[in-house]
Amino acid sequence: MKSMSKYFISFLVYLGLFISIHAQEVNTEASDSIVVQEKYGLRLGADLSKIGRSFLETDYMGFEINGDYRLLKRLYLAGELGSEKKTTSNDYLVSTANGTYLKFGVDYNMYENWAGMENLIYSGFRFGFSNFNQTLNSFTIYDINSLTWGQNEFLDNEKFSRLTSGWIELLLGFKTEVLTNLFMGFNLQIKGRLFETQPDNFENIFIPGIGRTYDSGKFGVGFGYNISYLIPLYKKSR
Amino acid sequence: MKRHCLFLLLIYMLVFNCEKDDVCPETTQTTPRIIIEFYNINAPEEIKAVPGLFAVGVDSTDNEVAIHNELVSTRSLIELPLQNNSNQTKFKLYKSYDIIDSVINGNPDEITITYNIETLYVSRACGYINNYSIQTFSIATDNDQWIINSEILMTLVTNENEIHVKILH
Repeated sequence: MKSMSKYFISFLVYLGLFISIHAQEVNTEASDSIVVQEKYGLRLGADLSKIGRSFLETDYMGFEINGDYRLLKRLYLAGELGSEKKTTSNDYLVSTANGTYLKFGVDYNMYENWAGMENLIYSGFRFGFSNFNQTLNSFTIYDINSLTWGQNEFLDNEKFSRLTSGWIELLLGFKTEVLTNLFMGFNLQIKGRLFETQPDNFENIFIPGIGRTYDSGKFGVGFGYNISYLIPLYKKSR
Repeated sequence: MKRHCLFLLLIYMLVFNCEKDDVCPETTQTTPRIIIEFYNINAPEEIKAVPGLFAVGVDSTDNEVAIHNELVSTRSLIELPLQNNSNQTKFKLYKSYDIIDSVINGNPDEITITYNIETLYVSRACGYINNYSIQTFSIATDNDQWIINSEILMTLVTNENEIHVKILH
């Protein structure tokens, strides 16, 4: 199932690239008028990769809506609001994390567009905050001498509520206008955890918004594959 | 386009390939067994080996349960695994254990250990271990008892480097 989702996502990524290249070819024939007007407005969208994973993986449910508002020629205010539920299991533990997260920050467009094009290759910065709970569904005691009495599975279902975590995030991505005002984009996220509340006698295995945690450190990675629609509010010459 | 592919490959390696620290290292402190050392009843500070010592577990319905890796040998120290889902475990300790013509020879004494369980989180890979706090250690009386007395030296069972119970014989 996991490998299927990988192929699905890679398919989506290549589709996005193909469309973006194709779109560029079309747009290069745009007008060569002297005064070029650029659209300013609010762009709203959703993360397709999370929707895709929700269908393909039985132990994952996730959704994210995102938006940005063009503040300056190259600067956008940006934010994401999402929800994730993920069950993680291994030899000794099965746990489910469930919660919502909010991210806000800015995107900076590094791409010099040709006249009439409004694509982005951007780097961004976010503050993220997650509010979640974690349930310890079941566990077995780690005991190398368990062959004598047998291994017992404890169905605990202990729920640790009101857990929080905050992080900072660096993004690198692109957004391409595939149809008028409709954008497709991909971004890669590197996250550094600033704080988290740990459940008593347990730990945060998965944090909505950050993803799985690692024993080795406070860093995480993520990606988004977004479709979004620009609501133009006004135009400004560049 | 070639550059894009390389970039995507990099993303792949980042997102999918460094995922597993899910294997429990063998060096991790596991759920400890209880350690019993045998002493001379006539000289309580003197370690005294038990000839042909052999232990079997006794479950809640009085059936004997073979202890994994337990072999008959003359020794002064024994490690016994406690039941991790019960507050009490019984064992039969045989002195001079031997099987002659499929008949068990030797002198069994039954001991009962009661304890409280504390379940401690270790890591995502290993999950939880148990630590025990010994409440009572008792010896069933019989006509041919070789275990005379016992003493709990260490109530908390957190590792196997300490002697938890002293048996005098």
